[in-house]
Amino acid sequence: MHTRLLKRLCWSLLACCGPSFAVSDAQTPASGAWEYLQRQFYPDATLGLLDDNYMSLEAPANTPDPSATPLTLHFGAAALGHIRQIRVIIDNNPSPVAATFNVAAGARVAEIGLRVRIDRYTSVRAIAETGEGRFEMRSTWVNASGGCSAPPGPMTAGTLGEIRFRPSPDSHSMLISVRHPNNSGFQIDARSGEPIPAHYVSHIRFSVAGQTLLEADTGISLSENPTLRIASDRPLVAPITVDMVDSNDAHFNASWSGALAESAASGAAPGAGGTR
Amino acid sequence: MRCGRALLAIAAAAPLHAGAIPPAEAQFALQQLAPGVFVHLGQQLALDAPGHDDIANIGFIVGQRCVAVIDSGGSMRIGRALHAAIRRRTPVPICYVINTHVHVDHVLGNAAFLQPRPKFVGHAALPAALARSREFFLQHYADDLDQPPGAAQIIAPDITVGERLELDLGGRRLRLQAWPTAHTDCDLTVFDDRSGSLWTGDLLFRDRLPAVDGSVGGWLGVIDQLAGLHVARAIPGHGPVAADLAAALQPQRRYLRALLDGVRGELARGESMQHAIAHVAISEMPNWLLWDDTHARNVTRVYQQLEWE
Repeated sequence: MHTRLLKRLCWSLLACCGPSFAVSDAQTPASGAWEYLQRQFYPDATLGLLDDNYMSLEAPANTPDPSATPLTLHFGAAALGHIRQIRVIIDNNPSPVAATFNVAAGARVAEIGLRVRIDRYTSVRAIAETGEGRFEMRSTWVNASGGCSAPPGPMTAGTLGEIRFRPSPDSHSMLISVRHPNNSGFQIDARSGEPIPAHYVSHIRFSVAGQTLLEADTGISLSENPTLRIASDRPLVAPITVDMVDSNDAHFNASWSGALAESAASGAAPGAGGTR
Repeated sequence: MRCGRALLAIAAAAPLHAGAIPPAEAQFALQQLAPGVFVHLGQQLALDAPGHDDIANIGFIVGQRCVAVIDSGGSMRIGRALHAAIRRRTPVPICYVINTHVHVDHVLGNAAFLQPRPKFVGHAALPAALARSREFFLQHYADDLDQPPGAAQIIAPDITVGERLELDLGGRRLRLQAWPTAHTDCDLTVFDDRSGSLWTGDLLFRDRLPAVDGSVGGWLGVIDQLAGLHVARAIPGHGPVAADLAAALQPQRRYLRALLDGVRGELARGESMQHAIAHVAISEMPNWLLWDDTHARNVTRVYQQLEWE
């Protein structure tokens, strides 16, 4: 009881006085959604909670944009090559499972970054499963409201399903930006007053050098124009390919050949885009 | 009319009973910048702080035949205080209420000016911007409206400005100019030819960190045009009145340039949004008020825009 009170106190202190980017260092209290999902997905698992050198979750305590809140998962040296699956759960969102990443055996994924909609004040948690059956969970609070119903932005450039690649200069990371409204189903068309039907990216496959590095099942909690940032402790070798499916069963794909690395790094060209 | 008198009587009596609620007019400071040009300077407070309805510079210009209000404040309370301040200064009718853009702190007092109804004036894109924002205003700023809050209190313009418009107040002309997307997509400036006063709306922030709700690149372009104007004084949307417009635009230009170049660089290196928030334009922090409330949001917004430029 005292421990729980202490944890709550820590969290309330963090929420008002902590850095704007809190890194998880304790477990946020269970919510109804999480208790349900835990029974469904991890009924017998013991969840490791504390070792931030192994895994950490970074999210803004007060999000600057509820409809596009950045989340980053970091994996330390001991986790590299061992992580097989990661679920990202936003407890108080209408569809709490934001994404499920299935990582190829041995893939050395050091970082996964994504942007999500946050509907209201919530715990955000990531649960990783290793190939050896170890489970780790990190969670943090995000204060936000209205991320799922935020009106769509203007589509002033790009076409539906366009994919842009932005590698880091050392090729250890790749930022992928996807042109897609990712409508949550909770948005209203300001002109007609009618609800906009859900229309979202449902599956993303990320391949490096012709091999699948990871696949993600995604949903309405991804932000408009979803992004995925993957980093490794080693260079990501071209060709890097993204294959994507959305909820209307439209397929999109694009490849980065590596030839654009210099121009992308110098800012001359944002990357290659391609749609089917 | 009888009903109106009854309401007035209640309003007049209210302060005697409700000592906790001071009449807004008592604290409503007004400066006369030039003959017939009055401004109430808003406070530099966060958008969720107590007093957040009184953060914008608002005011009015008095001609021989007409008064024009420029922005109505962030609540019915502030709108009424401005209305009362006008009535204390002049019996000339209020013909126009001009909104410089869509943000709450500039438009939520509009409905305080309905008796008798003036012409509301705004940028050609203001009606659509208000339509997009109406739900958000009603959800998040309901306390700043009369109860019960309703969409009818959020008033769209009767007259819209596509490029330029002149309003004759009697003995003085106001030149209104609509700008391309900058601070927002519906920025309007008002120039009073008699006093040489330019009301910039939020195209100029002083001291308070500028908020980017439109296009940072577009805003930099507009700043270049504004800097070439010859005016006697500029009344910014936030911060003190400026005698030298070009000089007053400099800090804002420097911040927006650092923001644009910084985010572009982050994207070119494939950095995350979080990395951009932590690194872009950080050297500007000591120069501005309310940095924490606005900078991260600016980076977030610009990052998402430049991703697809």
